[in-house]
Parts: sequence; structure tokens; C-alpha cells
Amino acid sequence: MRRVIFRRLVFALLVWTLGLPAHQAAAQENSLPTGKGLPIRVKAAVAFVEVSAFNENAGTFKATVDVRLRWEDPRLQRPAVEATDPPRVYRGAEVHAQLAKLWVPNVELVNRRGRATYAADGLRIYPDGRVDLIKRTSAEFTTAFDVERFPFDRQKLRLEVAIRDRTSDVVMLEFDQDDLDFSRAASTATLDGWDLGPVTLRNDPLIGWHGDSHARVQASLEVTRQSGAVAAAIFVPLFASLLIPLLGIWLNRTEDGKFQIETFEFVNLIVGGLFAVIALNFTVNSMYQVLSSGDNPVNRLFILNYVTLGISLMVNVLLFRFSVVERLLGRYVQEQLYLFLMWAVPLLVMTMASAVVLVALA
Amino acid sequence: MTFRRSAPAALITAVVIVVAGVTFISDRLFSGLTASVERSQFQLMQSILDTALRNAADEALARADIVASLPVTKQAVAAKDRERLLAEYAEMFTVQKARRGIDQIQFHVPPAQSLLRLHDPSAFGDDLTRFRPIVVAVNREKAARKGVAIARGGPVIVGVTPVQDAKGAHVGSVEFGLDFGRLIDGLKAAYGLDFTVFIEEKPLREFAQGLNPAVLSEQNRLGRFIRFHTTNGAVMKELVGDADIATVNEPVRYTRDSQGLPYGVLLVALRDGAGESMGVIAVARDFSGSRAAAGRSLVWQICLGIFAIVILSGVVIVVLRGFLLRPLDVLDRRVAAMAAGERTTMLEETDKFCPEIQRLGENLERIETQRGERAP
Repeated sequence: MRRVIFRRLVFALLVWTLGLPAHQAAAQENSLPTGKGLPIRVKAAVAFVEVSAFNENAGTFKATVDVRLRWEDPRLQRPAVEATDPPRVYRGAEVHAQLAKLWVPNVELVNRRGRATYAADGLRIYPDGRVDLIKRTSAEFTTAFDVERFPFDRQKLRLEVAIRDRTSDVVMLEFDQDDLDFSRAASTATLDGWDLGPVTLRNDPLIGWHGDSHARVQASLEVTRQSGAVAAAIFVPLFASLLIPLLGIWLNRTEDGKFQIETFEFVNLIVGGLFAVIALNFTVNSMYQVLSSGDNPVNRLFILNYVTLGISLMVNVLLFRFSVVERLLGRYVQEQLYLFLMWAVPLLVMTMASAVVLVALA
Repeated sequence: MTFRRSAPAALITAVVIVVAGVTFISDRLFSGLTASVERSQFQLMQSILDTALRNAADEALARADIVASLPVTKQAVAAKDRERLLAEYAEMFTVQKARRGIDQIQFHVPPAQSLLRLHDPSAFGDDLTRFRPIVVAVNREKAARKGVAIARGGPVIVGVTPVQDAKGAHVGSVEFGLDFGRLIDGLKAAYGLDFTVFIEEKPLREFAQGLNPAVLSEQNRLGRFIRFHTTNGAVMKELVGDADIATVNEPVRYTRDSQGLPYGVLLVALRDGAGESMGVIAVARDFSGSRAAAGRSLVWQICLGIFAIVILSGVVIVVLRGFLLRPLDVLDRRVAAMAAGERTTMLEETDKFCPEIQRLGENLERIETQRGERAP
């Protein structure tokens, strides 16, 4: 029994001893390639292969992206006789086997939401030690966007590529002209309701602990809203609803300074207008939840609608019903004030509405 | 023309002129602010470029100073011992090139002859007098210099330091050259600016014999320049044309649209040690923020101007017609009735009329009363 145990121990020791150099070599290959000093410069580029959806309400978009990472690992240099050989190309399962042996920057798509629905890697190792890794990912990504110029807005669908397990003193993400050339939307990519533009890259380090920072590159696909249909669907009702309170002022008439129509008829009209604007507001906010908060042209036009309704109600109550101006300043001052309001209120309201739209276009 | 029309028209015209004038001046003031912001942006761009080029040249010179001060350098340059220099510094150059963006290191002997190029050891012995004025100057004046030059491998930012032997006699010089591309890419990453380096094609072809031929391709040609390096080819191609860089002596600033966005573009001439132009660096920055703010401001100022005109016009109309003309109209009708010999009574209450009109009404009332008393 003792002999058996002794033999097994000797065998295990032999196996461990024989396996150690291979393990050490693998561990060495997996370590940081510091042969060219620190920080290790990893060049990043992002191509948008497909953009399938942009959900403004949730602040997300679904896309298939290629993230290309390039770096140099001098340990992978092949002998001089192989210097002109083509790169070794790995795809599918063999990529993972190969990647397990290499040092690979632990790049994360920081703004990815949920799991990737598809992921694939492609690897090229050049004879001079250059490594070229392309990671294709289909997933949903969060993105911040600003609707201050809605519906004439341009948005940036951002993809944040970051390395969070190393500080930027150790591993740095950067890009050059070749990466800018790689970073674009595929010519076949489309997005309903939007025109796809160029992709820009920007360095934007993440703040770490104790004053450290982590490398991050933001790739932004610029998209421009096809504003025609949206503008018509939203602005036409908003401009039309502005006419309701104006009718509440226009439709009355004076004879020798006396109003001829009962106030309650106009107040009914104004209250109806108020409900119409509330209903429109609800409908628009249901379709574009992102518009419900913050400063944007649609909210400004809704505010203008409410203010115009308020002005119309004030005119009806103060002038038509209680003749406040007549009591204070006389019938003819009230008459002239009314005649002035008949053209001034619509002019000012339409000027303001046009300004809101023009500011969005500026 | 009646007072009813002419008086409001005159007052409203005055209001329109004043408000339009104020709006115009206000717009000019805001445009001045926007221009001032953009001017400071241009100055910042120039400052970033100047500082980066100066720092890079200082960096190159510092390295050259260190190498020039080493005894090995002094002895080997004095002895024109290429082999020893190569043996001592080849590895150092490899590391510096890989890690620190050092594109070339060269040793020279007077007056300006190449002794050893660590980046291209096989090319040596050639006379640099024609195209390397900095090297000529260092070996003539025996003082360190820095600047920009077209070297064998292409344009570089250089620092050249004289080398003296153990006795202090001038024996040659050592030069470090920094890669333009790496510097520019670093600036892009740090500041978000876009750059393009244009180098004159003729000296580039003549002197940069070791340059990658792809750089000299037709697609990189722009007039008499070659686009040597760019951080964003698509944008910069739309921003900088042949005519823009044809004559750049002083820094040139302008704004132009690219890919639907306004950019501020700064063109700065690159000059070699002799002050001769060797190219242009174009720097571009997105100005859409300031331009959009200016557009928005103009719209709001016009809108406020219209509000001011309409409201002041309303005050003019209501005051003139409501307080003056309409009450006068009432009294006029009464006087007309009196003139026609009709028996009139006060048709309107005049207690809301202004006192002057009220007095007129009261006097008419008195006349009417007296007339009634005289009547048979």
C-alpha cells in the first residue's frame, strides 16, 4: 500500500514538474506585454455594422458593432525569416484557444445593456508582433441624447469602449487616422426615421480611485432625424390649437364700445381648447416620453398654448364680462384696447411660435 | 392726412426705428461676443500647437544634450567611429523609437556631413548643407538649436546639439528627431482638435529619400503640397483646399462647414531653421456651439423687438384713440347736431373722459343750456 502511494506521489510530482514550464510560459504570455514599456498603447476603432432600432423613450439603441483593437506584443514576433509572411488569422473556436494564450486588453462596452445577442471574435497576429482583434457584438446600448432641437435634432449614438481593470498608466486606448477610417457606419446600414452620418472617436478617460483614470474611447455615430413627417405630425396640431384661444378673442364684436356677445360662449370655447391642448399634450408625451421633461420646442409650444388660453380667458373675464377697463378708464379706451388685442395677440403668439421653431432650426 | 392716422403713424414709426435700432445694436454686440469667443478659440488652438511643437523640440533637444554629453559620444564622434556609435546606441534608438516616438537619431561631423543615421545606418557620408540649415548652423555656431526639418525619413521636429571632445573642441553634432504623426495624434486625443500636416512636395521628394512612397501618392497631393499626416481625412479635406494653403505666411483663420457643421480653421506655416517655408499645419475645431448660440440669439432678439414694437404701438393707439380721439368724436357729433340747430342732450357719460375733454363737454353743455333758455 505504501509503495502504491509512494509511486502515485512520485508520478504526480513528475507530472507537476513537467507541466510547470508550460504553465509558467502560458502565464508569461498572458502577462502584460511590457517589452515596449508602459503604458501599453491599444488602438481602438468602432464600426457600426447595423443599427436596427433607436428607442428614444428608453434612451437605447440596438446595433451590431465591430470593435477593432490593435496593439503590439513583442513576445509574438516571429523569426526574421518569417517577417514577410502573411498574418496568422484565427476565427471561430480557434480564436478563443489562441486568445487564452495571449495578453488581451480587457475591453468592456461600458454602456451595453443586458446580454449580447451575438458575439464573435476575429484575430490576426502579424509576424512583427502586431495583434489585430475584432470583436463583433450585437446588443442594446444606452445613450444620452438631447432633444433641445427636436425635431430638427442630431443625435449621437454612443458606444463607450473602456478598460476598467487597468489604469491608463498601464493600458491606454488611443486611435489614429487608420482607426478613424475604420470607424464608420456600413454603407448598407439604415435606421428608420434617421439619416446615418459619420462616426467620430473621442478620448474620454473614466475617473478611478486615488486620482487614477481608466482609458475610455467614445465612438459616436451621428444620426440626423428625418424631421419632415415628425414636424408635420406635431407642429401642425400645436399651431392649430393656438387658434382656439384666438377665436375666443376674435369672435366678439363691439358697437359703440359695448360688447355684443355673451362671455360664457367664449369661455366654453376656451375650456374646450384647454381640453384639446391637454389631450394633445398627453398624446405627444405618450409617443415621445423624452419630450415630457426638460426644455424643448414642443414643450415651449405647449406652454405657449396654455399662456394663450390664459390670455384669452383674461380678456373674456376682464373685458367682456366685468368690463374692468371700461370702469377704470372709460368705454372708448376699452374699445380701442380690444381692437388692439384682436390683431396684437395673434401676431405676438405666432411670432413667438415661429421663434420657437426657428431657434430649434438654428 | 387726419390726426387719427398721422399721429399714431408718426409715433409708431418712431417706435419701430428706435426698437429696430436697439435690436440691431444688441445683435451686433452679441455677434461681437461670439466673435470674441471664436477669437479666443483660435488663440487657444494656436497656443496648443505652438506649445506642443516647442515642447516636442525641447524634448528632442534634451535627449540630444544627454547623448552629446556622454564620453562615448565625444570619443566616437571625434574619431568618426561609426561602428562604435552604432554598437552603443542602436538598442537605445530601438527602444526610443518604439516607446517614445523618436523617429530618428543622427550624428554629424562639420560642416554638415552625416556620420551615422541610427534609423538608417546604411545611408551616411552625404552632405546635408542644402536641406538641413539647422545642422549647418549648429556646426558653424557651435550652439544647440531646435526646429522643424525635412530629414531623410520625412518631416521631423528636431533638436541638434554640438558635440565636443574631451578637450572642448567642437567635433560634430548629434540630432534627435520626433515623429510628427505621433505628436499630432496625441494632440487630437488630448484636445479633440483635428490636424493635417502639409509638406511642400518638391523638397519632400528631393530630401526625404527614405520616405514611404505611399505618402507621395496622388490622393495626398494638394497643390504644391503633400498631405503628410492627418487626424481626420474626411473632415479636413472639406475644410482645407488648394487655394487656402497656397500662400500662408502669417497664421490664417477662417470658418467653413464640413459634414454639416461649422469649423474654425487655423493655418500655420511650418518653417525650417533658415526660415524657409516647408509646409503648413492646419488645425480645425468644431464651432457649432458658438454659431448655434449666435443664431438662437438673433432669433430671440428679433422676436423681442417685434414684441416691443407691437406693445408700444398698442399703447400709442389706445392712448391716442381711446383717451383723445373717440371722446372728441362724441363731442364732435354733439357740436354737429348743435350746428344743425337740433335740440341735443348728452348722449354719452363723460365722467370717464380725461379732465380736458370733460371741460370741453361741460362747456358744450352750458352752451346748449343757454341756447335752450334763450329759445322762445
